[in-house]
Amino acid sequence: MRQFFDERNYTEVDTPSLSPDLIPEATIENFETTFSNEFVGSRNLYLVPSPEVFMKKLIADGMGSVYQFCHCFRNAEQIGENHNPEFTMLEYYTVGYDEQDSIPLTEELIERSSPKGTDTALLPPFRRMTMQEAMWEYAHVDLDVCQDQRLLAEACRMNELLVPEQREPWEDTFNRLFLTLVEPNLPQDKPVVLDRYPRQIDCLAKRDGNYRKRWEMYMKGVEIANCYDEERDRDTVAAYYEKEYAKLVEERSKSGSVIPDCDPSFADIFTHFPQTSGVAMGIDRLLMVQNGEKEIGALLLFPFSAMLMHGKKLS
Amino acid sequence: MAIKAGQIDKGTALLIKGQPYVVTDREFVNPGKGSAFVRIKMKSPTTGQTLSDTIKTQETVDDINVSDRDCQYLYQDGELFHFQTTDTYDEVTVPMVTFPDYQFLMKEGETYRCTFWEESLLDIQIPSKVIYTVAEAEEAIKGDTVTGTTKNAVTDTGLKVRVPIFIKAGEKIRVNTETKEYLERVND
Repeated sequence: MRQFFDERNYTEVDTPSLSPDLIPEATIENFETTFSNEFVGSRNLYLVPSPEVFMKKLIADGMGSVYQFCHCFRNAEQIGENHNPEFTMLEYYTVGYDEQDSIPLTEELIERSSPKGTDTALLPPFRRMTMQEAMWEYAHVDLDVCQDQRLLAEACRMNELLVPEQREPWEDTFNRLFLTLVEPNLPQDKPVVLDRYPRQIDCLAKRDGNYRKRWEMYMKGVEIANCYDEERDRDTVAAYYEKEYAKLVEERSKSGSVIPDCDPSFADIFTHFPQTSGVAMGIDRLLMVQNGEKEIGALLLFPFSAMLMHGKKLS
Repeated sequence: MAIKAGQIDKGTALLIKGQPYVVTDREFVNPGKGSAFVRIKMKSPTTGQTLSDTIKTQETVDDINVSDRDCQYLYQDGELFHFQTTDTYDEVTVPMVTFPDYQFLMKEGETYRCTFWEESLLDIQIPSKVIYTVAEAEEAIKGDTVTGTTKNAVTDTGLKVRVPIFIKAGEKIRVNTETKEYLERVND
């Protein structure tokens, strides 16, 4: 994979795992630690859930296309199956590309890096399907029609899914349908690029009508990669951070989990950010499916589940 | 009673729209940029109907208080399994479709631990390793290297299982009841 990017003149970067502030992401819980020095004082630090912000800073500074393999940390997610709290991510950002250009690039990357004898269900060409098509095919829901949460909730009831009587965020109702009826039924004979996510799932992918310029790639039903046409309008990014931070503070004040420090000046990167498409790929998951394993821990030398089970504490 | 959906596990008994269901499969999902959900598959012990659903881990669901009772398995009539509770001698029935293959795993007259919700039988607990008598076993064919070192056999309960070629009819074998695989020969 490194050779693939080096041949295309991407710069490999290595950004910090420990950071004094994070970008606000309401759905990702964080690990907190403390830097302390008797003479200098102490400061909260966080293990990064992704290297995104550092890489975007480098792109804004004119570094061009960049890639990185790094460990990322996400708290409170379950352990086992497709998750380990510490995992290896590959992120690659291509300056001048949009999310559509990243599809053939990712196909080539998978083609080039897959070991000989890899199951053809894990090799290109990728099947391409829009979220609109997938929701219609597997849940009989027309996303263009169901822009109102109440209509989506009705679709849940027609599909005999549990849905609360009171209103909830549109994306939660969407996920009930998507996760129960669509995701488990996606074709598994080839990798699938599920394109154009609903606009209501707020993120830093550019908006396009009712959708966003974002895709996810699945292999054998497992989410492997996520791609955006990166938002580059400063005010849109600043508004997104503000909203996300408010949501984060509200939810975590209730649950008591870590509220990280967030630096509002992150948005200023986007006063001079070039057209870019970024892909994040879960390397442990890719190796898991390539090796026919069902548990992410099967390929880790020290899976978290085993460390928790067998670990002893000095007393 | 209510529990958070994140606490649901395999075997948890839930009350969905007034009907009891037993969870057969549970998987946590964190969609990219979304809340944490738990995806579950459930089975209705009264009808055998299966249900899939995805619930936010922070949402509450109704679980039901279940209790275990010993029941003697009497017989099956092609549609229902008939049991008798060993404490009160009440007859209890449950549709066979709810427990596929159990007719080949249970032995008439044997007592099984069963999970109840009020008067309904929700689950039959079969030990993970059970000894069966081999009723029929294929003759081993000399020099047959194609099928390897195993052959077909049927237990006295009708369970089909692949056994090593040295196993003969009338012998006892230990079987993994989950995978329905031969484990070892048992000598009296």
